[in-house]
Amino acid sequence: MQKTWRSATLAAYTLAILAFLYLPLLILTLYSFNDSRINAVWTGFTLKWYASLMTNDRVLEALTNSLIVASITTVVSTVMGTFAALALHRYQYRCRTFLNSLLYLPILIPEIVMGLSLLILFSQTGVPLGKPTLIIAHITFCLSFVIITVGARLEGSRDDLEEAAGDLYATPWQAFRYITLPMILPGIIAGALMAFTLSIDDFVISFFVAGPDSTTLPLYIYAMVKRGISPQINALSTCMMTVTVSLVVISQLLQMKSYHASRKD
Amino acid sequence: MKKLRSLFTLSLSLFLLFAAGCGGSKDAKKEEAKVLNIFSWADNFNPQVLKDFEKKYNCKVNYDVFANNEELLAKLQAGGSQYDVIQPSDYMVTTMTKLGLLEKLDKSKMPNTANIMDKLQHTTFDPNGEYSVVYTWGMTGIVYNTKYIKTAPTSWNDLWNPEYKGRVILLNDSREVFGMALKKHGHSNNSTDPAQIQEAFDDLKTLAPNVLAYDTDSIKQKFIAEEAWIGTMWSGDAYFTHKDNPDIAFVIPKEGTTVWADTFAIPKGAKHKELAEQFINYLYDPEVSVKNYEYIGYNDPNTKAASLHAKSFIEDPMLKTAVDQIDRGEWLTDIGDAITLYDKDWTELKTIK
Repeated sequence: MQKTWRSATLAAYTLAILAFLYLPLLILTLYSFNDSRINAVWTGFTLKWYASLMTNDRVLEALTNSLIVASITTVVSTVMGTFAALALHRYQYRCRTFLNSLLYLPILIPEIVMGLSLLILFSQTGVPLGKPTLIIAHITFCLSFVIITVGARLEGSRDDLEEAAGDLYATPWQAFRYITLPMILPGIIAGALMAFTLSIDDFVISFFVAGPDSTTLPLYIYAMVKRGISPQINALSTCMMTVTVSLVVISQLLQMKSYHASRKD
Repeated sequence: MKKLRSLFTLSLSLFLLFAAGCGGSKDAKKEEAKVLNIFSWADNFNPQVLKDFEKKYNCKVNYDVFANNEELLAKLQAGGSQYDVIQPSDYMVTTMTKLGLLEKLDKSKMPNTANIMDKLQHTTFDPNGEYSVVYTWGMTGIVYNTKYIKTAPTSWNDLWNPEYKGRVILLNDSREVFGMALKKHGHSNNSTDPAQIQEAFDDLKTLAPNVLAYDTDSIKQKFIAEEAWIGTMWSGDAYFTHKDNPDIAFVIPKEGTTVWADTFAIPKGAKHKELAEQFINYLYDPEVSVKNYEYIGYNDPNTKAASLHAKSFIEDPMLKTAVDQIDRGEWLTDIGDAITLYDKDWTELKTIK
């Protein structure tokens, strides 16, 4: 008897927490399908806000900017991050833990501090703000995430396979290409997806370092709100949310798969 | 130290080159065509007008957006940005002029700016019209719903009516709210006299319990949905609200009010100054401004366009009120350090329920 009472409370508590987390998002999504221009009143189902997004040049431009920045960021930070993770994993040296924590630091530093310091850096060195500065800033904070994700995969993988490849006369490149790379690939893809998601979503740092022709979607949404919250903003936010959530899910699945794979070995 | 810095600059620029290379050939092609970088508020132009301009002058317009004046100032002060046309509001023009951030405008290259209403040519924030031209403007007035408020308000004092408890909305802006209260007591909305500001603050404290919200972003929705009955609003927003809810009306109180404007200005060192001048000139062409202002829904300052506008636009009661009563408005100017007096009281006011 007492047990059912307990589990009921627990269920209610869990539901309350979930509602707290997801209700705002749910309402935002719901009203993106609302026929009325005013958020307050529900008048009927429509897809017109999504259609109007597709014909809004400014939105499409912001989307293109976001995609360009996120793609370049992903490629560069994944390549750099993977090599950094390999080096950190393979070599033993002094201050290793210190260096490792230095790499974690960008994750912990408040974004606003990072954005401001990058802005000061760019303006001190006279670098004009724009897409390049935006990309550099995004690479900076994505790098740590890639290193950590790939690093975690490396920790769980076996070094002896690579040694065995060496014993069998594989060149270092062959050993990397046919042994190490396939082994850590899920980690690399997960890291890349993470980098892409972070870059697409970032507002605070972009806010500081964006210049001409580099308004990204989050920056555009922020400026649009100033003109009054319209269902178009809801629709745009819903689209961004869908993309982000699917990327995160894929990245999680890959990590889970790689975890199970390593357990099987 | 200097060496270190130049080393850093070098490596950074190398990296930039690399990053630019990744950007692809599209960017390289863009450099050949002329580029105009605009930094403005969101949705501040008819997109078709921008397209027409691109076509006519064979250029590419980059339209980037900011959400408030302070953001614009910060970006400009950082020095790293390279915008050609910016849109500071009234008081920000004064601030930027003082800081030497604006280029003097050569109006001989922008003959169409002569079409702007006389009253908007000489303003207190830019007395000789040397640094800015007014683009959109409007007045702060009382907006109310005639369904709930039968007798039309005439004075700011009507906001204090106890019958409207919980139905009053004030703009979420310290200068607007205190400016309103200062006007109510017959003072300037740019007052720097602590006694006058205190008087306004004491009065606002008695209004605070009746206030539903201090809101600028979703104030239109609150009036359309009839959550709010009465409050302060800009004429342009009143025009929008009225379109969605015909019961909405708008008056300028007898004590006078704040008049505001967003302007065009060219920042110091703009790279494409000539194109910027052509752009500003283009927007005050009567036919262009008809297209543009009917889309954005703010008062058109262009006198030559008046006869070309649709009747429904030019005779709209909200927009007409602002034009007719512009003399009752006083511009907000940069009040220097006195702003701290406002800010302190403002923070306290917003905590009163």
